[in-house]
Formats: sequence, structure tokens, C-alpha cells
Amino acid sequence: MTQASPGDGLTAERPRRSIRSLLQSTEVDTRLLGMILALAIIWVGFNIMSGGLFLTSRNLWNLSVQSSSIAIMATGMVLIIVSRNIDLSVGSLLGFLGYTMAMVQVVWFPTNPLTWLIALVVGVFLGAIIGGFQGFIIAYGKVPAFIVTLGGFLVWRGLLFEYALGQTLAPMDPTFQLLGGGPTGSLGESYSWIVGILACLGIIYSLISGRRRRRGYGFPLRPRWAEVTIGVLGCGAALGAVWVANNYFWPVELAKSYAQTHNIVEPPGGLQIPTGIAFPVLIVLVVGLVMSFIATRRRFGRYVFAIGGNPEAAELGGINTRRTIVSTYVLMGILCSISAAISTARLNAGVTSLGVQNELDVIAAAVIGGTSFSGGIGTVPGAILGAVVMQSLRSGMVLLRVDSPVQDIVVGCVLVAAVGLDTFLRRGNKR
Amino acid sequence: MFVRRMAAITAVVAIVAAGCSSSGTPAPAASVAASGGGTGAGSAAGCIVGVSWNNYQEERWAKWDEPAIKAALAAAGATYISTDAKSSAATQTTDIENLISQKAKVLIILAQDDSAIKSSVATATAANIPVIAYDRLIEDPKAFYVSFDNVEVGRMQARAVFKAVPKGNYVFIKGDKADANARFLKSGQDEIIKAAVDSKDIVNVGETNTDAWTPAKAQTEMEQFLTANNNKVDAVLSENDGMAGGVVAALTAQGLQGKVAVSGQDGDAAALNRVALGTQTVDVWKDSRMLGKAAGEAAVQLCNGTTVDKISGASPFTTPGGNTVSSVLLKADPIDQTNLNDVLSAGWITKDVLCKGVTAGKVPGC
Repeated sequence: MTQASPGDGLTAERPRRSIRSLLQSTEVDTRLLGMILALAIIWVGFNIMSGGLFLTSRNLWNLSVQSSSIAIMATGMVLIIVSRNIDLSVGSLLGFLGYTMAMVQVVWFPTNPLTWLIALVVGVFLGAIIGGFQGFIIAYGKVPAFIVTLGGFLVWRGLLFEYALGQTLAPMDPTFQLLGGGPTGSLGESYSWIVGILACLGIIYSLISGRRRRRGYGFPLRPRWAEVTIGVLGCGAALGAVWVANNYFWPVELAKSYAQTHNIVEPPGGLQIPTGIAFPVLIVLVVGLVMSFIATRRRFGRYVFAIGGNPEAAELGGINTRRTIVSTYVLMGILCSISAAISTARLNAGVTSLGVQNELDVIAAAVIGGTSFSGGIGTVPGAILGAVVMQSLRSGMVLLRVDSPVQDIVVGCVLVAAVGLDTFLRRGNKR
Repeated sequence: MFVRRMAAITAVVAIVAAGCSSSGTPAPAASVAASGGGTGAGSAAGCIVGVSWNNYQEERWAKWDEPAIKAALAAAGATYISTDAKSSAATQTTDIENLISQKAKVLIILAQDDSAIKSSVATATAANIPVIAYDRLIEDPKAFYVSFDNVEVGRMQARAVFKAVPKGNYVFIKGDKADANARFLKSGQDEIIKAAVDSKDIVNVGETNTDAWTPAKAQTEMEQFLTANNNKVDAVLSENDGMAGGVVAALTAQGLQGKVAVSGQDGDAAALNRVALGTQTVDVWKDSRMLGKAAGEAAVQLCNGTTVDKISGASPFTTPGGNTVSSVLLKADPIDQTNLNDVLSAGWITKDVLCKGVTAGKVPGC
């Protein structure tokens, strides 16, 4: 390492440019790359089998909205699993919080114009408190997380049934409904492009500032071509996603009634209104960014990974492990409330069965995304990608009219295979 | 070590307490309702009737069924005791033993699992304790069966939707794959539309089971079916109201609400509101209070020594398993925009809930 002077890339000494060394020189997370590859295979496979239905703007737009609730919770589950804990209560908690928010809108403050805001505030606070309460018992009471959250799994669902008597609450406040997506709950064309361009600028900025920082510390730099490639691919992906979202036009019927209410003469072939990025997806992007930042750039995040890597060493190193653990559960509770708002708004109803089995989907998403149960390993983008993989499988199979028992079988096999393959490859790398 | 263990126990108790303290009604386990005076003609004073719920946490049992059973029993002076198996067939077996040891003379059982319950039923009938299979069939010739006719519910759903859309693309959103009722409903639907399916007037463009009857899953399924058919869907046969809610949410996102016929059942408030609004075509309403009343009255007659085939209104019913059981099968009421008054006059729903967002006078009843 001492010979490698900053500036000349690591690849310079390598005579043989295998794909592996190329990848290494870009320092891209190969696991993430593998997942993207797997996702691409799944998408193309479904597209062929469904006769070109899967890779349409409409289906991809649907997929992005359908994945959002699980993706948001998965980002929190990463931190919890990384610190060698687990949360089995997220599905029940989501149901409980979603129903509470529906109660605010339908029963408690139905006429208040700010009822959507009250619902959100109540939901987020309640989520944080419940999460913190569970975390407190785990961290300070030293009760295994599995047991505490298993208890929570029963209690929150039970409590929900108890005060709901199973009744469905509908409809939600019109402003609240926007959180659930749908053509009206989306950014529209120009704002979507702005988001895309901002994302692009963000990627370029982080590449440049990262390079500058490395140079400042005298670390080896990535070869220039690698930086450019990452930048171009990242920008391409961001703008491509926006293009796809904008290519999904408002459904004919909605466009028709929009034209009527706004006195627009419909052109032949109907009014084409680009839908753009849906609000829930925007929320996923923001949550993903914030959680990534917390996990990798803040002291709290480093502590979580330190605890997961070696709890005793972390404690001896002066980390307040208990407080850190409680914080991860508070975060999880808040994320549950955000997901609850999205699912309740999307369904436009508070139902008692909201979030049933979601805990399994969330844990599966985190694990498919490369989070390790032995602690200390996991990434937020991986978890989001994991959620998209899971939902792609489900949605794709419905598109192919595969019935639910077979869906379960396939998803179960993929889950085990993904983690098995990952473990196998990691073992191979160590040797 | 001891301190730590106590701390753990305290914590668990705290969670449990948090769950219990805010629960409005006490858990039904072993709750005993006081018996009334009991001087009427059908008196069964002192007769203890044990009810084994499979999952009391579902909406309707506590809200509609239990009060109706209690009222029917109290009118005759019989005593009501109950247990809740919390969706476990094993727990239900012990529950029934418990009820028998509490000297129940008649058992009303809402079976969690219609096969696993058989041995318990055999034990009870061998001890001369008559059994009423409540809402869900028990394959035992000695058990008395009280239910709504679920195949008929399926027929009613299909009839209403078929009337609205005699030709076109149909989507079938079925219930949980493990629930026999999901199959009964589908078979009823198939009877009505079979001819039209054979003549290609009706095309099945999507069909799936929905785990745990979850509305959110039904919504995702519907979105995918709409995508797969480029919105060319004319009717949706959803097996219950919750899933119909998910279906209508998916249709609304495409601006198709009210343009696609949708079925449901259960008489959920939100669903009846959708019927009034015109976004759901039919809601097959099963008045659980009638069911509870019928079971309570049958129990009183059994207390007095009436045999199962002599209970008033009883008729033989051939089960899918080939048994002939004595039964009372109630008829459901398909609610559409023309007969919303049925649910209003029965006190099932209030007008402001039913007619929320509906222009006054647009449909009869609102």
C-alpha cells in the first residue's frame, strides 16, 4: 500500500484487466451490483413471459408504489438486524398505527381541515413511543428482542381488534389520500424532472467531493474513468426512472374528467397527462437518503454497526449500547407510521387486517438486500432493492396469473436461494 | 439472576397489561352472563349453553352474534358461557372439554377446523350433549347446522353482477385458499355464469386467491389485472366487502370506479356506503343477529330435550362430505341501490354512515 501513490489508479499495476479487477477498481459494492443484475433478470424474464407487459411504464410505476411501504420499513429493519436484534412487530404496529390514523380522520376529527396533519402527527408520535417502549424493554430489561417483539406482534394486533371491533373506516381525508399515490398523488411532469436532475447533481457532487476528500487524506483514488462511468450510469438511472414515470400517462377516464372540469378541449386520442413520480416513491427516496446518511455518516449509525460487529467491544469502547438500541427501535416505530400512512391512504380505508404478514416481507427484503443475521453487515439501498425484488416477484406472478399458493412457494425458494448464494459467495471470498 | 428474571417478567406483564387495560370489553374467556328470570313458554331455566368461538377478535362475533345468542338464551332463562380458541384448533379442543366440565348441556361451536373438531363433537354427543355447528359446517350427522347458505351468497353476488354486466371481461378475487367458504362462494358464482362463460360471453381475465382475505393484497392484485388487460375489465366478483374495498381503490386510481361492476358480502358499513355511492354493485348482507337468534333458540329447544331433527324450521342438508345433517339455513339479502332501506330499517347502519357523500334523494334511502 505504501507504494501506491495517490493519483495513479490502483489498476495501473495490473497487467490483466479481468472483469473482477475492473469492478474492484471502481470500488462498487459487488453485492449491490449482483442484486441489480438479479433484478434485471427477473424483470426481463417476466417481461418475456408476460408478452411485454412487465416492462411497461404503467407496470413499473405500479411496482414502485406497491413496493414503497415495505421498502420504508426495510430501511429501519436493516439497522435493527445489523445490531443483532429483530423486530417481529412491524406488521401489527403498521396495522395499529394505520387504523389509529383512520380513527383520527373518520371518528375523532372528521371535520377539521387539518385532520390529515393531525393524523400524521398522532401516528408518528405513537409509532415513536411504541417503538421506544419495546426498545426500552429489550435494551434495559435485557429481554430478547425476538420475545419482546413477538409480544408486540400479538399485543398491537390484539389491541387493534379490541378497539376496532373489526370495522372498516372509510373514506380518508382527500389530502391524506395523496400520500398513497395514484395519478393525483404524484409529482407531475416538470417536478419529476426537477427531482431527477437534483438526484443527478447530487450524484455528481458526491463523486467530486468524495474524490477531493480522498485526495486531502492522501487515500488512493478511483481511476478517473471509473468515476465518470459511475456518474454517467447513476445519472442515467435517475433520469431514466423519471422518464419511465413520466411516460405513464393519466388513465383515460381520469384525463377525460380532468379535461371536463378544467374546460380543456380533448385532442384526438385523448388528453395525455404525464403522471410522474408518485408521492410514496418520493417518500421512499427521501427516507432512503436520510437513513443511508444516518447509517453511514452519523455517529449513531457507526455505533449501530459497531454493536453489531462486536457488542462487548462496543460496550467496552464506551458506546452507550442501550441508548443506541432504543434509538433503533424508535426509528423503526417512526418508519412504521410513515408506511402505515402510505398503505392506509392507498387503500383509502382503515382496515384491521392492514399489515398482516408484513413483518415477514420486511425482514425478507432486508435479508435479500444483504443484511446479515450475524450482525454488523447491511445497507439501506440494499434493503430498498430487496423490497423491490420481492414485490417484482409478487406483482409479476399476478400478471402471469399465478395463484397465491404457488406465489408463496416461489418467494420462499427465492428467499432461501438468495441468502444461500450470498453466504456461499462470501465464504468463497474469505478463502 | 433472580432480579434480572423478575425484571423480565415485570416487563412482559407490563406489555400484557398495556394490552388489557385499554380493552373496552373483557375477554370472553369463561365470561358468564347472568341468567334472566325465565318464565316464558320456552323456558330452559338453569340450562347452561356453552359457546366455543374460534376467533372472537373478528368484528362480527362480538358486535352482532354474541348479543343475539345471549338475548335468545336469556329470554328462556338459560345461562351463557363461552371460550375463545384464538384461531387454534388445538385450543378449541381443550376449550370444549372445559365447557363440558363447566356442566354445559348444549354446545354451540364455531369451528376453527371442520375436521379437527370432529373428535370433540363425538365426545360431546356421546355424553348426550347436543352440538350446534354455528356458521361453519361440522361433518358430523349428529351436529345441528345453523348457517347462511354460502353457495347461495355466491349465487346472489353473481346474479347481481351478471344482471349489470351480462357480457364482458370478469375478474375473480377469491378469499383465502384455506377457507372452505371461499370455495362455496366460487361454486355458487360459477353456477350462475357458467352458461355465459361457455358461450364466451363472459371471459375470465383474472382469478386469484387472496391470503387472509386482505384488502391491501386484493388492491395489488386488481392493479395487476387492470395492467394485464389494459383496463379492459367489466366486472369483478369479489367474495367479500373488505377485498371489494381494495378492488374499488384500484379502480378509482384508474378512474373506473362506478364503471365496473363489483360484488361483496358482509354488510360492512364502508361497503354499504359504496353501494349507495354506486361504486359497488351489490353487497350480500347476512344479518348475523338472525343467525345468533336461530342458534340461541335451537339451543333452548335442545335444552328441553327436543331432538335435532324436531327443531322448528329444521330441514335435512346433505354436506359435501356426504353426511345428512339437520339444519337451519338462513337466506341472505343482496343489497343494491334499490333496497338500501332494508339495512336502515333493520337498524344495521345509520343513515349518515350509509349516505355519506351521496347526493340526497339520488338513491332510495338516502
